Amino acid sequence: MKKYMKKSEIWTFGIGLFGVALMTGWMPDYTATFFADFAFKGKGFDSDVMANMISLVFLVAGIVGAVCELVIGYLVDNTRTKFGKVKPWVGFGVVPLALVAMLVFVAPNTNSQTAAIIWMFVIYSLYTAFSCAVESPANCFGSLCSPNPSERSSAISIASFLRSVGQSGGMVVVLVVGLIMKAVMGEQQYRNAEGRGLDLVISTAVCALGLILFTMIFFTNNKENVPFTQEKVSLKDAIKVVFTYKNLLMVSLTKLCGFGRGVYGTVSLYIAIYLLGSKDLKLALLLPMGIGTAVGTLLVNLVLKKFSTKQTFILFCVYGASSMGILFLVSRGIGFNDGLIIPFLILNFFCGLQHGNTNVTPNIMIADCVDEIEYKTGKRQDGLAYAGYGLFSKVASAFTKGLGPWLLYTWSGYMVSTDANIAYAAQTDATLNKLLMIYTIIPAVFVILQGVPILFYDMVGEKKEMITKALEERRAAAKLAEPSDAENA
Amino acid sequence: MEKKEKSFNLKLYAAVAFFAVLALLILITALTFKAKYTAYHPEEVARNYVDTIAQTGDGYNAYKTALVSKSQKYGDFIREYYMNPVIYRDTAYKPGDDIKKCGYKGYNEESCQGEKTKNDDGSLQGQVIDTMYDYYVELVSNGWDDYDTIFAKYFAKLVEVRKEVFGDDYITDEIMFTALEGNVATYGESLTGTEDEFDKNTGKQTSFKSIGAYQTAYGEDYKLTTTVKTEKDMDLSAYKAGLSAETLATYGVQADDIRAVKCYTVAVSTADGKAVTEADVVVAQIKNSWYVDNTATDTSSLYGFCK
Repeated sequence: MKKYMKKSEIWTFGIGLFGVALMTGWMPDYTATFFADFAFKGKGFDSDVMANMISLVFLVAGIVGAVCELVIGYLVDNTRTKFGKVKPWVGFGVVPLALVAMLVFVAPNTNSQTAAIIWMFVIYSLYTAFSCAVESPANCFGSLCSPNPSERSSAISIASFLRSVGQSGGMVVVLVVGLIMKAVMGEQQYRNAEGRGLDLVISTAVCALGLILFTMIFFTNNKENVPFTQEKVSLKDAIKVVFTYKNLLMVSLTKLCGFGRGVYGTVSLYIAIYLLGSKDLKLALLLPMGIGTAVGTLLVNLVLKKFSTKQTFILFCVYGASSMGILFLVSRGIGFNDGLIIPFLILNFFCGLQHGNTNVTPNIMIADCVDEIEYKTGKRQDGLAYAGYGLFSKVASAFTKGLGPWLLYTWSGYMVSTDANIAYAAQTDATLNKLLMIYTIIPAVFVILQGVPILFYDMVGEKKEMITKALEERRAAAKLAEPSDAENA
Repeated sequence: MEKKEKSFNLKLYAAVAFFAVLALLILITALTFKAKYTAYHPEEVARNYVDTIAQTGDGYNAYKTALVSKSQKYGDFIREYYMNPVIYRDTAYKPGDDIKKCGYKGYNEESCQGEKTKNDDGSLQGQVIDTMYDYYVELVSNGWDDYDTIFAKYFAKLVEVRKEVFGDDYITDEIMFTALEGNVATYGESLTGTEDEFDKNTGKQTSFKSIGAYQTAYGEDYKLTTTVKTEKDMDLSAYKAGLSAETLATYGVQADDIRAVKCYTVAVSTADGKAVTEADVVVAQIKNSWYVDNTATDTSSLYGFCK
């Protein structure tokens, strides 16, 4: 089948997503620590009230984000410009996004706790809205980069890999910024500046600059190769797209059914402390998994050349659950001692491979679903399809954030230290076992559950080929029917 | 003549957007840095120094903005001059030595750990910290200006107390910092008082309410504020002449590095505006940053003023 993308376009699509992920990956965690630890330091605000309000800020931002996903998706599908329907959102949206992200880290100098709380709500909700306006369209560019499903899959795989790298890029930025600040200011003066959150301010500026730079490379080099359909999309159509098309709904449901996959993150600090012996090992714990995720993202691309998206997704789900099961059994076999560290970290890498699948395959499936919907309705609704998936992702993320702490602090019977001189209290064997289960077996169950909706997914094989061919013919016919420039004149 | 349609220049837009955002980011970062990084504001450096000491009697942490912390991390300074001489007391260690290169064996080796150290769940370490507290209070009764004596005596005593409790000579910089900082925090709480605290998950009480010395003197809801009363430019040559080159060398500073010097009188007042004490703080400028000259500042008036 004909190739539509220049080689450079495949990479610059990934570079664009890398830039967006650099910013959106940086923001949530570091905003939370900035709000809690630095923004109003020394103001004497009630710390319990602030802690509760910060949780609420993120809850409200989650709701704002979910609503924005749908609104932006709807607006994207009603956008008609000579640059396409997605590119303007990305290219023009990054400028306010970069500036608003920066302003999140510029707290007002106020002595009023109410004013401080209002500011947190407003600025972070604003950031969430702008990030949706850029990130959501950027992600759905995958379905517009090429009408050729094979070429599109390769582009999405590479872009997903670079996006997953970009999501952790902020951690490198803050590290490098810290090293430079130390070299320039001296150790203690750096500590003093760090104590005021200034390293976070500079790191945010660097991430924002990266966002603009990488997104502009994408904006100038990439073009949408799938023509948009001319029909306007109504709000009713928008809702229908998200909730009634079986294949799209099944892909979105993977997020909801697998929401508990992420609870391992809640317990990782305690795994480092109790099972591996030091909280400093948390990074060592997450690093092999992160590397595994990156390798998995590339691996999925190879598997997709041999198997359909449906087979690939199910294969990785089975693999993912098995790898976590093995990690559980090995840990129980060796016991919680120094001898566990190396096998645990190695197996952690293998557990990370499965995440490559959840980063890549659903994005390819959604692009295929967009084709299917266009085939059935004559309307191409990339924005809404990705928005629907984003909406389910946000709801799932909210469930994860609720389940993780409940499992850790209630179900496991975790004992908090009551001695001021002891940071972490000793735990019973039953609790340690449950901590290990939260890291392995419980996510494994959800990994299996996330594969269940895909059993009902059928946009593969002959059906996919038939739709791709039909759309190709339809577009060729539409192009022939278009009045030429000379006729228009 | 055919009129050429004007088209949007993507590359030009990208370049303009990039440089415009770059300029704005630099401006926002610079303004935030200037506003938040107090080392650029001599008045704030002086006021913060007094505030840290007056609020919680914490002369230990106040040194983080002083000349003593100019060239290296304050913690590293303490390690080099006061902790390592204790840990490596049976070697030829002197400040500045590279311990690994010199191959010094200290009392931080695992071989020095006795059974009690190996099996301690933190409670014996807590006992050491509690025992050291009275000695700490005695040492800082006149403030932290003579840090040399405080560090030297405190760590020497810590080795003795630890040996009594654990029965071995094992000592590390972490043990030393934990004990000292634990005492610094408790001392602060003895002034400010503490509230009842409960664990959010288990509901168990983790600390109990206590009335601090400040609360006894100024009321339970007291508030202390610090303000700069006067500013005075000092004669730079005369100031430099009075500096101890030997002390400055331990800070990695030379007298010639200092570009300007000022003295601020900072007052401590209660919420109703009643002045309770004050201190003269000398601040010196090196490059663009200002540091408290701890060798020329007397903070003794900031300790025990509520009695």
